[in-house]
Amino acid sequence: MSTLSTERLLHAWRVMRTIRAFEERLHVEFATGEIPGFVHLYAGEEASAAGVMAHLDDEDCIASTHRGHGHCIAKGVDVYGMMAEIYGKKTGVCQGKGGSMHIADLSKGMLGANGIVGAGAPLAAGAALAARLKGNRAVAVAFFGDGGSNEGAVFEAMNLASVWNLPCIFVAENNGYAEATAANWSVACDHIADRAAGFGMPGVTVDGFDFFAVHEAAAAAIERARAGEGPSLIEVKLTRYYGHFEGDAQTYRHPDEVKHYRETRDCLMQFRERTVRAGLLQAAELDAIDAEVEATIEDAVRRAKADPKPSPADLLSDVYVAYP
Amino acid sequence: MSTPAPQAALRVGIIANPASGRDLRRLTANAGLHSSTDKAAVVQRLLGAFGATGIDEVLMPPDMTGIAAAVLKASAGRHARDSHWPRLEFLDMPLRQSVEDTRLAARLLAQRGVSLVAVLGGDGTHKAVAAEVGEIPLLCLSTGTNNAFPELREATGAGLAGGLYASGRIPADIALRRNKRLRVRLPSRGIDEIALVEVAVSPLTFTGARAISRAEDIAEIHAAFAEPHAIGLSSLCGLWNPVSRRSPRGSWLRLSVEADQALLAPLAPGLLQACGIVACGSLEPGVPRRPLLAAGTLALDGEREIEFAASDHPSITLELDGPLSIDVEAALAWAAHQRLLAVAGTTVNHPGEQEDVHAID
Repeated sequence: MSTLSTERLLHAWRVMRTIRAFEERLHVEFATGEIPGFVHLYAGEEASAAGVMAHLDDEDCIASTHRGHGHCIAKGVDVYGMMAEIYGKKTGVCQGKGGSMHIADLSKGMLGANGIVGAGAPLAAGAALAARLKGNRAVAVAFFGDGGSNEGAVFEAMNLASVWNLPCIFVAENNGYAEATAANWSVACDHIADRAAGFGMPGVTVDGFDFFAVHEAAAAAIERARAGEGPSLIEVKLTRYYGHFEGDAQTYRHPDEVKHYRETRDCLMQFRERTVRAGLLQAAELDAIDAEVEATIEDAVRRAKADPKPSPADLLSDVYVAYP
Repeated sequence: MSTPAPQAALRVGIIANPASGRDLRRLTANAGLHSSTDKAAVVQRLLGAFGATGIDEVLMPPDMTGIAAAVLKASAGRHARDSHWPRLEFLDMPLRQSVEDTRLAARLLAQRGVSLVAVLGGDGTHKAVAAEVGEIPLLCLSTGTNNAFPELREATGAGLAGGLYASGRIPADIALRRNKRLRVRLPSRGIDEIALVEVAVSPLTFTGARAISRAEDIAEIHAAFAEPHAIGLSSLCGLWNPVSRRSPRGSWLRLSVEADQALLAPLAPGLLQACGIVACGSLEPGVPRRPLLAAGTLALDGEREIEFAASDHPSITLELDGPLSIDVEAALAWAAHQRLLAVAGTTVNHPGEQEDVHAID
């Protein structure tokens, strides 16, 4: 008995595979020097985005981080539009003027990746306030990392979300490092989930390598928020497979660390093995999705590279909202 | 069971699971939180009690969440000095932030010859330590969510009981209790695990967020012991077909939402669910039982851990030779009867302030 239909399981696989393929391709492409700015890859953390976003639709908002590609893909942002944005092309979801850290698509409830650590939390709390004032069932999710968990803006957002009983879920993706600083050197109060108690909301920790663990915890938190029972905090423990940014030499962690997680706990490996063993999915249908995903990424990169850059005339467009 | 032989250094271990007490049940029930700050404070209470009972050395694993760091910091303080804390050593080991850390720490403590391992955690943590330490007794302290194996107990008194046993001042036949366990085998996958309280069979396909919070997610319970006052899945057997920790048998229960009769049981703190009862019976030691469900998950001591398919044929067997643990009440009753904590003179408020801590024997 699974609470997830075959269709939803296949969707989760497609999302996670797309994120992995997208990020692994960027890892290769960034090294060529063709991509402007920085990219922060989400590979390794796929189960978190897929597990949370499985419960959201376009009405629900999320606010993301500098490591936002996975959140965008899981929230349904067009992969080609994202790739073009990262390449700084006019066809990008923000017309090529935002880049990796400013991908946003309001039609999908994606309020934006964010170059400022912890700055997404107040945006999500604001979206949650809007949902409450409108009286709909929408929720908002704030993603931040272990580094972001130390930011005042996150605390302020958690405080107001609790005071106003907002349908806001705070998801702390704890990958163990704020840039090069280990969480156990920089997060005082040990578990990020424990901080929820200080704001009068429940906090839980889940295994971020396990899609089903994240999916179940997110279901409970989101259901609670939709029922008007207020905010909660989920600490998702995971690891990133690449550096803080592309080009990071990662001298702050043992080379064996990522290898260990890749080999023993990788979220895609686990998902495939367990769903096939349980007889819920067939290896062949997963392979077919993999092939489709590869083709999608290949197409996105090819088109993004060929697309035009924004023109000088675009410089001042979309800078201010035009009021009637 | 034998009283530990006197040795050069009285050495005990402490394992505090940094992850216990913060799972999904904060969202699905009214479970409380055991922060690492709380756990560090519990370790410090134990160190005070171990200091007072003449323990020379305490070994504990490092962790990524500040427990060891807080203890290390406190060890340089006035309170540690005044309480004559034992010498502290942190194990040199890699951390994976999973149950493997607990298991590795337990193995290292056993290799270092500790005479006692104090465990801070829930049923799951105790199970992980018990699987590695053989006949070394456990001093059990509950810092989990639904705990049936470790009793809720203040650490200072528990520490005194453990310290007095480890320093050889309470005989083993008074201080120690032999526990039962359940062995879970899936030969097809090479799985051989133990549970200390109960094994639940769930129709859920995946281990997911581990906890079980709904009646329809439980098909069978096999309990090594089941007390009527328990919290968690063993409370089902405890309130229907109880069996004590000392009884040479266990208890089983089969459940279904379509049953004619139901039992209201606390599956998690504050979470009472009516669970349909189909049948119950007694678990006999050494007799393997197979779940009726062909596929699903097995929850060991309250947490879904093993996903099984039709080809796996898991079995669950009650064993009577489970881990040893300190019987805190019995040990302290003996300590009172023998005046083991009496100190000489009226101005001395700590045995460490006397010339030789063991002189009070």
